Amino acid sequence: MQKKTMTKLSVLLLAATTVLSACGSNNNNSKAGNTGGNTAASQSPDAAATDAKKEVSFSIGYAAGDPATKKAIAATVEAFMKVSPNVKIKDISETTSSAYLDWLKTKDAVGEFPDLVEMRDTEVFADAGKIVELPSDLLELFKDPPQVKGKVWNAPMSVNVPQGIIYSKKAYADAGITELPKTYDEFITIQDKLKTSGITPIVVGGKDIFHMGFWVNKFLIDDVYTKDPDWNSKRTAKTVSFTDPNVVQAMTDFKDLFTNYVDKGWLSTGDNQTASILVSGKAAQLFSGTWMFSQIKEADPNFEFGFYAVPDREGKVNVIGLPSPAGWSLSAEAAKDAGKTQAIKDFIRFFFAPEQYAAYLASINAIPSTKEKVIYETGEQMQAALDLIADPNVTKSLAINNWWGDNLIPPQFRNWYYKLLQDLVVKNGDVAGYMKQADTEYDAQVKANAQ
Amino acid sequence: MATAVTRIDKPLTAAIPKKKKKWQSYALLFILPSFLIYTLFVIVPTAGSIYLSFTSWDGISEDVRYIGFANFVEIWQSPRVHNALKNTLVMTVSLVLLENIAAIMLAVLVDKVRWFRNLFRSIFYFPTLLSGIVMGFVWAMILNYNFGVFNQILDAIGLGSWVVDWLGNPKYAMISIILSTVWKGAGYYMIIYLAGLQGIPAELNEAASIDGASGFQQFRHITFPLLAGSMTVCLVLSMISALKIFDQIAVMTDGGPGFETETLTYIIYKVGFGELRQGFGTALAMVLFLIIMLITVIQVKFLRKREVQM
Repeated sequence: MQKKTMTKLSVLLLAATTVLSACGSNNNNSKAGNTGGNTAASQSPDAAATDAKKEVSFSIGYAAGDPATKKAIAATVEAFMKVSPNVKIKDISETTSSAYLDWLKTKDAVGEFPDLVEMRDTEVFADAGKIVELPSDLLELFKDPPQVKGKVWNAPMSVNVPQGIIYSKKAYADAGITELPKTYDEFITIQDKLKTSGITPIVVGGKDIFHMGFWVNKFLIDDVYTKDPDWNSKRTAKTVSFTDPNVVQAMTDFKDLFTNYVDKGWLSTGDNQTASILVSGKAAQLFSGTWMFSQIKEADPNFEFGFYAVPDREGKVNVIGLPSPAGWSLSAEAAKDAGKTQAIKDFIRFFFAPEQYAAYLASINAIPSTKEKVIYETGEQMQAALDLIADPNVTKSLAINNWWGDNLIPPQFRNWYYKLLQDLVVKNGDVAGYMKQADTEYDAQVKANAQ
Repeated sequence: MATAVTRIDKPLTAAIPKKKKKWQSYALLFILPSFLIYTLFVIVPTAGSIYLSFTSWDGISEDVRYIGFANFVEIWQSPRVHNALKNTLVMTVSLVLLENIAAIMLAVLVDKVRWFRNLFRSIFYFPTLLSGIVMGFVWAMILNYNFGVFNQILDAIGLGSWVVDWLGNPKYAMISIILSTVWKGAGYYMIIYLAGLQGIPAELNEAASIDGASGFQQFRHITFPLLAGSMTVCLVLSMISALKIFDQIAVMTDGGPGFETETLTYIIYKVGFGELRQGFGTALAMVLFLIIMLITVIQVKFLRKREVQM
């Protein structure tokens, strides 16, 4: 009797253990059609074509912090699944309070790295073997896709757009501002006029760490990167320093602007609240990119606003606008599955087809990266941004973390640096002292990453 | 005589181990699933973490390099970690004190109140049902500088000069997190204290009352000492929970402004996931584990001694 009971219990335990083991199995390996081999994406066999109607599913992940971008990509995914009913795309993107890299890393840690992923830290993930090269037959779609170590890893979703001041025309008129600034000093004079008129000059969504980068990089580009595009690599080699006069000047301007003209609630304001604050008349200006235009129009279709790039002290205009290695990338795991790879390639072609791509670009006011001409309607503000990109006198540059190759900074440095600058402003710190801390941390991170 | 005793004892001692053995087999079988799960999900990852803390693993690549004690040396020297440790200790001491004081006050109040006793218990307990993330979002909205109801109320009642960025100002960010966490946590400890209060014989207070002791004197000399058992539990639980605080910080301040509210648990997540330094993050986690263990052992030893004295 006892033996029988023991046997029953043993069977029960065995069953429970089996169920638990099944729960823990890697879902990446459970999909039908997984070859389990190590074939690269570019080697997708013809067998995939013969299996064209076979059910295929893949996951997609992208930075969903901007509602307009999320809406635009979700619409393209929906449209693709309608024309390709055998393909199921699982959108695993989430709007989180974390930075996109944090989210992506977390997904990787739990074994849910997206099959098709919007990649921003391309070099880091390529080095880690998480993504594969863009399939060679897709390269023909793009004008000049950026390369990392001689290889193209991304299908660039758009060209980097310039960032600048989005201003309320009413607030400018009320403050008696009739002309846009030609130098940085004139820009500051405008801030004083706005302040005197009783409105908060600038709203900043500093709660989201990426938003800090808009202003930080404006000053870094003016004083550092336009003069020396290889500054990052020199910093890594310790031949330049954050305590150099040009960097200290840039950060002093940053600190002065934030201390005197930025909304007092900037550190608890999220990026997605800035449009509301602008259209409600609580603030007169927002420094951001062209993707905000549609958000602002959605918040108040009658709100009248303009866009311009803030000039430097010498009157030169410098904006973000160089290409950088970012865009859709195929995960190394997905590339092992020929059917999945083919479906992803089909999706990428669909995404960049003019009729789809135009809708995507129009909804987020982006600039096409494709060879094929894409026509879509733009407003007055977007035209100003396009003029900046087309103007040869406007210097194009990149944000501190968007450089690559020798100019790649330690991936963890950007957020730390932006937080240091928050600290600098709220504690009214000494700029040179804080930049000394930046040097120490940068060197420590370079050293840690070299281990 | 001694032989007789042996004769009587022999059959008894032979029968008990047999019965024990049978039950031990069952007991082991029942323990086995929990033991397996615990080993799989706690012991194995912990052992793995010890190894990872000696590596420079970035968390995504397969390149896991052994770097000896380099991570621990960096922890020892890093001003950012020192700042996080300071914030963690400030937050822990404040939370342990405030949560327990608030919980005792609420428990006494709910114990004494004659009407709507269950309603009050439910109201005070309700915040503990919210997750830290939900609670964080709620308070972030309430305390928002531009749209938050708290600043709007201050403005409406003529205290516009008190309006500040509660989560963006370094003077108030930490306090805001502490107070909102007390709001969430006090109800849970209140229930434990309430159970302790209800275990105190009413005759003691009645006798003290007859002897002329005031309400405060009764609380000071009867209620408070007899709550020692509940207090041990609450102090240990609130201390561990405070040392591990994460959700509220992630949602309300992201460790900011600057590094003002960055705690050890938060920095572990930030460096491990956001900054691609899993090895360093794991080393920090090991340090936090040791700190929690050390403080808990000291605390339990002290509080148990106090319980015996009481």
